[in-house]
Amino acid sequence: MIRNRITDWALALVLPVLLLVAYDGWARTADDFFFPPLSEIGGTFADEWLFTRIPTDLLPSLVRMLAGFALAVLIGVALGTLLGFSRTLSTALDPVLQFLRALPPPALIPVSLLVFGAGDSAKVFLIALGAVWPVLLNTVDGVRGVDRTALDMARSYRVPAHARLTRLVLPAALPRIFAGARTALGIAIILMVVSELIGADNGVGYVVQLAQRGFDIPEMWAGTVLLGLLGFSANALFVAVERRVLHWHLAISGRATTGRASSAPRRRSRRTTPNPTEAAGARRP
Amino acid sequence: MLDVRDLTKTYDPAGTPAMADLTFTVGEREFVCIVGSSGCGKTTMLRCLSGLVAPTSGTVTLDGVPVDGPPKDMAFVFQDYSRSLLPWMTVAGNVGFPLPYKGLSKAQVAAATAEALAAVGLADRGDSYPWQLSGGMQQRVAIARALAYQPRILLMDEPFASVDAQTRADLEDLLLDIWRRYDITILFVTHDIDEAVYLAQRVLVLRRPAHVHEVVEIDLPAERDQLATKQLPRFGELRSHVLSSLRAPDPAVLPG
Amino acid sequence: MQLSTTGTAAPGEPAAAPPTARRGVARDGSRLRTADLGLRRLGLGLAGVVAVVLLLEIVVRVGLLPQAWFPPPSEIFPDFAGLVTTGELFVPLGQTLQGWVLGILAATVVAVPLGVLIGSLELAHRLTRFMLEFLRPIPPVALIPAAVLIFGSNLDMKVFLIAFGTFWPVLLQTVYGVHDVDPTARDTARSYGLAPRAVLLRVTLPSALPYIATGLRIASAIGLILAVTSEIVVGVPGIGVRITDAQSAGGAEALMYAWILAAGLLGWVLNGALQMAERRLLHWHPSFRPGGGR
Repeated sequence: MIRNRITDWALALVLPVLLLVAYDGWARTADDFFFPPLSEIGGTFADEWLFTRIPTDLLPSLVRMLAGFALAVLIGVALGTLLGFSRTLSTALDPVLQFLRALPPPALIPVSLLVFGAGDSAKVFLIALGAVWPVLLNTVDGVRGVDRTALDMARSYRVPAHARLTRLVLPAALPRIFAGARTALGIAIILMVVSELIGADNGVGYVVQLAQRGFDIPEMWAGTVLLGLLGFSANALFVAVERRVLHWHLAISGRATTGRASSAPRRRSRRTTPNPTEAAGARRP
Repeated sequence: MLDVRDLTKTYDPAGTPAMADLTFTVGEREFVCIVGSSGCGKTTMLRCLSGLVAPTSGTVTLDGVPVDGPPKDMAFVFQDYSRSLLPWMTVAGNVGFPLPYKGLSKAQVAAATAEALAAVGLADRGDSYPWQLSGGMQQRVAIARALAYQPRILLMDEPFASVDAQTRADLEDLLLDIWRRYDITILFVTHDIDEAVYLAQRVLVLRRPAHVHEVVEIDLPAERDQLATKQLPRFGELRSHVLSSLRAPDPAVLPG
Repeated sequence: MQLSTTGTAAPGEPAAAPPTARRGVARDGSRLRTADLGLRRLGLGLAGVVAVVLLLEIVVRVGLLPQAWFPPPSEIFPDFAGLVTTGELFVPLGQTLQGWVLGILAATVVAVPLGVLIGSLELAHRLTRFMLEFLRPIPPVALIPAAVLIFGSNLDMKVFLIAFGTFWPVLLQTVYGVHDVDPTARDTARSYGLAPRAVLLRVTLPSALPYIATGLRIASAIGLILAVTSEIVVGVPGIGVRITDAQSAGGAEALMYAWILAAGLLGWVLNGALQMAERRLLHWHPSFRPGGGR
């Protein structure tokens, strides 16, 4: 078992290491201005991001992203639950919501600039506005899909309405909410970076942009790598939380998320890392 | 104790009612089975009896009090345990789920949960999740949840329809045992005639639209045994009687 | 729609409920015919759109939202109609679509064969697993500064960005799909003497197709986001540029919202078109058959 694991990891690391070594070798000989060798990027990374720029740029980026994401989840779950209770209302609003989800969120950047200027609130607003739709739509679906027998059970045992909501409806909708939140997280990261590329005076995206303008190529790549690490860590953290919270769901369904593509044709249960928009995209009955 | 009078439920005003003038009573500590073929309106009847939906007309009274919402002395065991048990709660969590809202303290909830789980033979499975248990064990959990609620009457909707035959026999005997030990009235709906005759003191034959076609007194010895009772000639007679009552042409209703 | 997310039980899972027990019990719509349901849905949806537009109009007119920032719909729609009738809409629309198509095409051409390779060779799968998991969540927009530097502010840069961003979902879905091909089907095909190439074309690819379609649908949304982003941030021609132009022009807020409306409609149409194509192409698949999946 353990030996298997070790071989697994060793195998998984072979290719990335090879690629990095190959890149480094090529960059050293090619001496291309745009592609500095790893040692240079790594050196800049250590100088800039360990740890001088963490409080001045990384932290503001993270705070804006998390605030926008949290807002999107809160609003999305609250509104989605309300809508999910009324079949008529959610059917009536479906086209409008579908439109808003299909709208590419960066198109709203000018609106946020117009309304909020270039401050933090503009960025948080943009992130929340772009990320709220997948959460909202998935929550509506999750709440609408709560099993009627389970609801009957709770009613027949005189469980009061507020407890039916918090202990039955919301947990039952949680797998869908998580699927939506995962999409929302991806959107939040994108919008965090984009909003910092456009008008900002701090943040990781801003540093990358500044470095690019000043032709400080190693610094630009160092920041880009950091953004990649950020995306990876945020996703890994999300998956870890999801595994904990939805352990019951994963145990029943034998997979990591719900959605058409993973539910219908998947025959063997296996750990997978399906894509975020999937569940949100497959929501039509 | 449970008094059902002229209960009628019509979903579609133009069509035939799902339930028509259903009348019967269930006495204190009685074990009554209701048999009916599928689609005879059993589900509608149970939803009305349990106060989940209001009837179009007619009354249900429990101990003289009209039922206009789920009564506090009534517990419901659903057919589909996989849907009535909540997968995000442990077995103990499921059993204790309704209790805090009855005003029980944390310690009382824990005690009632433990006692109910012991009564169904699952004392050591409280920390498991329902989906880790077999079908028969899951239905035991559902029964434990009903017991922990301490109802005076237990409504059971084909509770053993989706478990295998051996498990079913075990669950039937478990239920009889519980009925004898607890001060409880049981109204048990099934489409299995053998099960109805084996369990009940009285069998109500339900026909479409839901109304009582015949009441069959089960005059078998009180002590039931899966082998001995079912071999009694009287058991066979009662079974045939119920079966023919289910199938006999009914002048009042068109077959369909 | 699946009744519960726990609906499809995988075989071999412990103490699973009997599959029939979870099948859809007729919901409240069962008494209506499907056609009626469709009509009802359409009618309600239209009513919803009209209601939301009216509400916005009132909210703005009453002054609950400042008119300087939020012009009423009655001013946005004429501007939008103007864009359509004068034909002004179509050049930027075409530019945005061009980047979208080229980027996704480039990604697909590489990602699908690579995905088939990785999905069918266990060694390749194990070699790339970690790298894919790491590269997938990288926000593609992080590459914008580097891409601008390397390609310049032009279509190449936009296509590169879209291709990079849409490559991962297509690749991963293909890998999942190929990896998940029913071994029975593959063995059956082999035992009937089908050549490896035929197995690939007749069994593996068709089975993986629903996954690839999902990958493309995800790619479509990401591609549009990246197209608009590169337009707004970098200024590559397209709808995004028109939105920023209208915003910076001053006094043209209604026009700005008209362009945003165009971007939203584009996303909506693309998504709908892909869903329809999927349904057409994959009508044989269980999740598209009446009563199955979804």
